[in-house]
Parts: sequence; structure tokens; C-alpha cells
Amino acid sequence: MKLFHKFKIGTPVPEVFPPKAGLYHFLRESDHQKSRLHLRIDPDNSGLLMINASRVFHLNPSASHMAFYILSETPFKSAINALSKTFNEPKQALLRDFETFHQTINSLMNDQVCPICDLDLETTAPFTARPTAPYRMDLALTYRCNNACAHCYNARSRNYPELSTQEWFAILDKLWNLGIPHIVFTGGEPTLRDDLPELIKHAEGNGQITGLNTNGRKLKNRNFVNQLIDAGLDHVQITLESHLAEIHDKMVCHAGAWEETVAGIENVLKTRLYVMTNTTMLTHNSPTIPQTLEFLAKLGLPTVGLNALIYSGHGKTVGTGLSEKDLLPLLTSAKEITSNYGQKLIWYTPTQYCHFDPVIMGLGVKGCTAALYNMCIEPDGSVLPCQSYYHSLGNIQKDNWIAIWNHDLAISLRERKNIPEKCATCAIYNECGGGCPLTFEVENQLCMEEQ
Amino acid sequence: MKLLRYMCLFLVLIVLAGSVTPVSAQDYRFQVPEQSVVVTINVDGTIAIDYTMTFQNDSGAHAIDIVDIGLPNYQYKLQSITAEINGQRITKITDSDIVSPGISLYLLNNEIPAGGTGVVHAYITGVADVIYPATQEESEEYASLQFWPNWYGSEYCYGKTNYQMTIVLPSGLKDTEGRYFIPENWPGDSEPYSRILEDGRIFYTWESDQANGYTQYSFGASFPARLLNEGVIVKEPYVPPSDSGYSGSSGGFNFDLSSICPVIFCLGFVGFFALMIYSATIGAKKRKMKYLPPKIMIEGNGIKRGLTAIEAGVLMEQPMDKIFTMILFSLLKKSAAEVISKEPLEIKASEPLPSGLYAYETDFLDAFKETGSKRKKLLQNTMVNLIKSVTEKMKGFSRKETIAYYEDIMNRAWAQVEQANTPDVKAQVYEEVMDWTMLDKKYDERTTEVFKGPIFIPAPSWWWRYEPKFTRPSTTVSMPTTTSAPSVGTGASRPTISMPNIPGSAFAASVVNSVSSFSSNILGGLTGFTSGVTNITNPPPPPSTYRSSGGGGGGGHSCACACACAGCACACAGGGR
Repeated sequence: MKLFHKFKIGTPVPEVFPPKAGLYHFLRESDHQKSRLHLRIDPDNSGLLMINASRVFHLNPSASHMAFYILSETPFKSAINALSKTFNEPKQALLRDFETFHQTINSLMNDQVCPICDLDLETTAPFTARPTAPYRMDLALTYRCNNACAHCYNARSRNYPELSTQEWFAILDKLWNLGIPHIVFTGGEPTLRDDLPELIKHAEGNGQITGLNTNGRKLKNRNFVNQLIDAGLDHVQITLESHLAEIHDKMVCHAGAWEETVAGIENVLKTRLYVMTNTTMLTHNSPTIPQTLEFLAKLGLPTVGLNALIYSGHGKTVGTGLSEKDLLPLLTSAKEITSNYGQKLIWYTPTQYCHFDPVIMGLGVKGCTAALYNMCIEPDGSVLPCQSYYHSLGNIQKDNWIAIWNHDLAISLRERKNIPEKCATCAIYNECGGGCPLTFEVENQLCMEEQ
Repeated sequence: MKLLRYMCLFLVLIVLAGSVTPVSAQDYRFQVPEQSVVVTINVDGTIAIDYTMTFQNDSGAHAIDIVDIGLPNYQYKLQSITAEINGQRITKITDSDIVSPGISLYLLNNEIPAGGTGVVHAYITGVADVIYPATQEESEEYASLQFWPNWYGSEYCYGKTNYQMTIVLPSGLKDTEGRYFIPENWPGDSEPYSRILEDGRIFYTWESDQANGYTQYSFGASFPARLLNEGVIVKEPYVPPSDSGYSGSSGGFNFDLSSICPVIFCLGFVGFFALMIYSATIGAKKRKMKYLPPKIMIEGNGIKRGLTAIEAGVLMEQPMDKIFTMILFSLLKKSAAEVISKEPLEIKASEPLPSGLYAYETDFLDAFKETGSKRKKLLQNTMVNLIKSVTEKMKGFSRKETIAYYEDIMNRAWAQVEQANTPDVKAQVYEEVMDWTMLDKKYDERTTEVFKGPIFIPAPSWWWRYEPKFTRPSTTVSMPTTTSAPSVGTGASRPTISMPNIPGSAFAASVVNSVSSFSSNILGGLTGFTSGVTNITNPPPPPSTYRSSGGGGGGGHSCACACACAGCACACAGGGR
């Protein structure tokens, strides 16, 4: 009869499956903050957590599983049960670790908290991660452009063949399946593609964060801006070369461009988009960079970007680039101005730190991330190490991703096999990486010509 | 009495029918370190039983040559049973003459020898007439399955078993509709894991590493009857054929089988008992991963080198009076100021000031140009700016690793002082590294200890700047304008200057007391001063306002460190067109 007395109906604890390898997208909103998170779980169960496609954290297997349960809001007990099923560890220990980890994850969501100096997260040397796919893919939808910058890095014909909308849809899906959470539409001038809103919408539908790099001229049209926003666009970067119309127009080789670009900036600043500008510091505009930054501050830009000439396309021969040694005073001034206005300054260009050290400048570690954290797909589907490095690694439509990712050039760039000889023994080689590979390719070429 | 008799018979039946006997002789002796059972209920009312058991045969025991598995009834087909031993297909499967109903798996050439281990897996499908009506009150008719997995005689089997029992419910079940029964005799959690399979099926799993192979456990579950095909629920209890009594090596039993029926119906769930075995290849699937505590890493710089001792003190959250005292000593050593009065403390800046002073040093000197509350306010500003400056410098660098680095410098500084052989050298080394030794929470005790006893030491060259009563040396000594981490050395490169000797204990007391006197005389009490600083450096959180963090391009967050994190994808984000 004992059996009868013990008979009892229970409501079971819901249980979940351990996460499979793949990319997961989560949205977190609090009173004062909204975050989009991507958790990429690799087949070996290690993971990557990307917050707003800008902060990247590396997780060991237990952390990646715990992050999954936390972000998917799995009931606590179910999560512990699932972890207990997956890992050979007593539940009590899992419980303790899970609780602590939960707090850490919550802290990471707070963009005011520095993960390194406030949370004391363990750090690894810069650029030492070896992901299975980049974090960001730039899609050069077209090489057509309504400007004609003399310093443009584009090395292709403006009439380069372009893929159809449906083909780009398929590529976006493929990129999602590869675990790439961040898409930046670029060119050429990507706004010249009529299907840009559709492509943005498709990527957003996948869960990808989308951005747009543009000269901003078409953004003067408010309806067009609204279309982009309705499609779900997250951020936009607009190139403005100077606060002076004559300098800007001269640099982009198009009269009247400045007016349209500034109108575009003003339009997007009125929206929810995260907006930033980019300015290439060349001999033409560098004397007035402080004034340009003042102008941008007064326009209300929260973030401004600066970069040096990219030695690709016209950039190889334009002759208006600054030497790395000239950058220090310009960026010192830029930092002061942006700091005074409460703006964020982003410096893009990888330099040789012995000439210009962005870490000492407080600009962060800047090194080449081509074929590592970012890559680019050309209008015809060819995959480039980055948007300025015109050596195809294969075609995203036709070739196996592993073959593209492990192309000799991709590995060479990732492993920094072709860095200048002098860099090999440098103490800060990890951070610096010898600067932009395109620069030393040009330098090598010049040396060869001199010989 | 009648009920008791029935119950006894019932239990006997279970025991006999349920025994799985891999043995038939007294010298069998083995453990079952792992056992896994999965019972899957199909919509046609049949069940599939998947059974995996690991046998670890004792050394000297009889080889395990046949494994008998009890089954709930005769509604199975031998051709629907597959089995393996260590992955090798078992080719001889027969009805068991030991357990009835049941089957025998002949291991033949793959028998488990004495001292050996073997994994036996059996998969029995299409066992019918096993689902019974449930009697608990529900809003609709429920069906149930009660299940007793196999066990072994305790004379043969011993040791703990990592045991897993799973019941997979029919498809179409909603997650709130399933019910489980509290297991009987079960050493683990009575509450099972509930999981939803990819095909939408729910299953319950009980797991324990404290179970064993010789105890009889029972498990059960119920679910809406509508999930099964019509007519598959058994309305009458199972009655073994009258000739199916157990006949084993130790003798035979005969049952009045009809007598157990009332007992079965007495069971609240009117379920079904089955003494099941199953095995599956799930053993490998269930293998758990090695656990390491969760770890998050971020690409970035580790140690922030190049901080001054004072900045390191801020990083290490030293008391503010100590930080100010360190600034004072730093200025004195750099010949940038001198104390003109110790009680109350008044200092005079040198004219002209030496070059290379840090902002916190000039701010400090500026504060002493004022008096009273204005001075205090300026000192608070000095501290606020210093903290902000250190915070800024630390962005992108590991606080923990950096603190450890400077603690190491501090320890090395102490080591140099303590290892010095003579009072003279000790004093000389102390003077060189005292800014680093002051980072030690016990610096006062250790300083006193270092200079205790009747020893005299040469006064530091700057001592007259700190002690107004001390005679100023006639020779001006130019001191370095920056401090550096200690290094092993004797100070031989320093300018040779003859300084008066002072008692070591007096020197130590003066240094040690400097902090407390700064606190009481200048700051007017540390608590109020500190809160005046921390209210600015650690303000209360701002009022909630919704904002988007945006994303991409490395933007969207205020911490400059974010871009110091090289892992962010902002590097080279398509600029330069």
C-alpha cells in the first residue's frame, strides 16, 4: 500500500536542449538601454558574445552554455538541470557559478561599465582570436558612385557586374548561417542600389545588425531616409571631408556634393539612427581638421571618425597622404576637440606604432583586422580580405566558405606573415601588427622601383 | 490478511518477472556502474524500450555469458529486438527460460570475462498492451504507464550505479499536460527533467549517481488519452498465462494469478508495471563534458605600466590622506616645495618650479596657496581630477593585473629595503623607493620595524624640506624629477653628499605620522573629505532615460576602452573613400 501513498502528480520542470552550434540573436531592453546581442556557439562549444556588434567577448564552453540559458531567459532550475546534463559537475557548483555568471552577463549589458577595468575580465592579446568567420561583413553592393574621390581606394571599374536582390538575399542568409551578425552596406555608393531598403530589411529579419557607409548625398531625401529606417537600419557612417564646401567638393571631385552630404547628415541626425562621420585626413583638408571637427560637433554628431589615406586604388597614386609621423599633432588636437564636445572619436587606420601609437594616444588598439574580424564581398560575390584589399579569396556564391576563409592570403593576413622585417621582434608586435598591409605593399613596391 | 497475501504475491511476481539475470551460477559477481533506460510511448499504444547497461565483472567471477531481460508481457516479437555487446551485434536472442515473459541475450564469443567490462544494449520495439487508464482527476481522460526497470539479485550485484531513466511521452502533448509519478525507492530527485524533443515530444528523465543495480525502482507518467489511437488503452490488467510461473535454478513458484488482479486494480493509477530493460546507444550521447568554470575573456591590454606610485595608490584605493602625503613627499623629493610649518601643515612652492611636475602635483601646490575651506575644496578637486585621470589611463587595461603588477613593485621595494645590510644603505634604499613602500597597507609598521633600535641613519637629502627644524645642508642636491620603480642597486650613482645623521626611529616616526597629521590638520577628518570626492567620482546613477546603444562602427558606448578592445569590429570600418 505504500505505493499508493507515494503516488503524486507533479508539474515537471521545463527543460531545454543544450544549445546547438550556431548564431543566436537576443534583444535586451531596460529603462535606459537597449542592446542587441549575438551569441555564436562554435562546434567545440566555445562561444562569442557580441554586444551591439561592437564588443566581443570570448566564452569557454560552460560560459557559452550559461550565456545561452541566461539570454534565452531559461527558467533557473531548468538551466541548472540542463547544465548538469551537459557538464560533469555537481549541481551545487553549477548553481554557484551560474549565479555569479548571471551577474557578469548583466554587467556586460551596461555600456557604461568597462569590461576590462571595471569587471576585471581576463584579457587576451589583441588580434589573437581565431574565429571561424569574421564578426562583420562589408557588402560592396556596387562600385558605382555619384562622387569621384581622387583618393578613393576603389580599384575596380565603376561598371563592375552586380548581383541581383535575390542573390544578395541568399548571401545574407549564408552569412547568418556562418555566424556573422554584423552587415555593413558599402560600395561604391550603396545608396545607388534601389533595393538597399529591401536588403537591410532582409538582414534585419535574419537578426543581423546593419550599417551603411555612404557619402550621404542621397540621404538629403528624407523619404529615402525613412525607408532605410523602416527597413531597420541601425547605424550610418557618412563621409565628410571638410567643413568647407570647396575643400570637400574638390576632394570628392563633385561640385555641390558638400551641400547634399551635410543635408544628409542633418536628416539622419533627426532619426533614431546611430550616426557618425568619417573624414580622411589628407594634405588638402588636414590644416583645417580642427575646424571641421568643430563644425561636426555643432551639427550634433555624437561620434566622429578619422582615418588616413588607404593605399589602394587611387590612394596608391594620389600623393596627398600624410606620413604616419604627421598624425600625432592632428589627432592630439582632434582628441581635445572631441573631448571638449563630449564626442567619441574613432581612429580607424592601422599604423606602425613606432610612428604613431594609438594606444598612447588613448585611441585604443588599432591593427589590421582584415580576414579576421571583418571581410568584404564585392558586387559580384567575390570575397576580399577587407574592403580595400582587392585580392579575391573566392566567391561567396560558388566557393566553399572554408576554402575562402583558409585561403593562403587570408591566413597570411591573419597570421601576419608578411609584416615588415623590423616588426618581427618588436615588443608591441601583437597590438601593432606592422600597420596596414596595403601600406607596406606600396612601400615594398616603391623600394623595388628605386632599386 | 487477504490483502497482505495478495500484496506479497504481487511483489513476488514483480521480483521474479523483473529480474534480469546475467548469471545462472553462484559465482557470478559484478557491478553495474551505468544503466540507462528509455521507454518511448507511441501513439499506437506500443512502447519501445531502449536499455543500456554496463557490466563490470569481478576478477575471479564467472564470465557473464547470457543476459536475461524481463518484459511486461508476451506482446513482443523476437525479430523486433536488436542487441549488441560492446557494439558487436548479438545474434542469438531467444525467449528466456529464466524470466518469463522475457528474453535471453547470448553473448557467445563476446562474453564478459572475469575482470572485464562490457556494455550491453538492447532495443525492443512494438511492445503492445502496456498503457492503462489513469485515475487521477483531470479535465479529460488520462492514460498512464507505470514502469519498473530491471534489477539484479543483490547476491550477484553490488556497488553504485549511475542510473538514468527516461519516459518519452506521445507526440502532441502540450508542456502543461504531462504528469509524472513520484518514483519509488529512488535515491535521486523525485522531480524529473522535462525536456522537449525536436519533434515536439516531451520526455521526463530521472537521473542519479547514487542508485544501484539491485534495488527495485518504479517510475511512471500519465498524459491525455486522446494522444493515443483509439482502442489501444488496455482496460483489463495484464494476467500472465497460468503456465508462466517462474522456474529458476533455485526452485519454482506457482501462482494463483487471478489473485493479483485486485491488487493491480488497487493501484491508484491503474497503470501497468513492466520490468523493463532497455539499452541504447544513448550512452555515448549522454557522455558529459568536462567542466571548467565559466570564463569570459576580452581582447585588450593587460597591465598598465608607467603609472606613478601615486597613481598606483589611487588604483589600489589607498586612503586619500595617504595619497596626499605621497604627493607631498614627491614634491619635496623633487625640490618643488618645502614645509614651512608642520603643525598646522603649511608648504611653500619653490620658485621657479622644476619642470615635469604632474598635474596632481601642481594642483596640490595651488591648493596650498589658499587657506581654510577653499584649500580643502581645491584638494578635493585635486583628488577628483587624479582619480579621473587614473580611470582614463586604465581604460582598456586590466585593473586586477595592473594592481598585481604594482603590488609586486611594492614588494620588491620592501625586499630591497629589508635586505640592505647596513643602516646607511637601508636608509638610502628606503629613500629611493619609499613612494612604492607607502602603497603597503602595513607600511607604518614595516617602516617602524626597519628602523627600530639604536641606529642612526643619514638623513635624506630632502629631509630639511620636510622637517623645518632640520638644518639645511650647504650643498644643493639635484634630485631626479620623476620617480621610478625600484631596482636592485646600491645607489652608488647618486651624488655623494654628506648629510647629518638622525635616529632611525625618529625618521620612521616622522614618516609614519605624516599621514595621520595630514588627515587631521588639512583634510579636517578623512570621512567627510572622502565623501566629498566620491560623490563626484562615483555619482548616483542618472535618472532613467531610454536610449539605444546603436551598434556597429565601434560606436554606441561611452567607454573609450571599447575600442581599446581590439576584438571589436570597428577597426578599419570602411573609412577613406
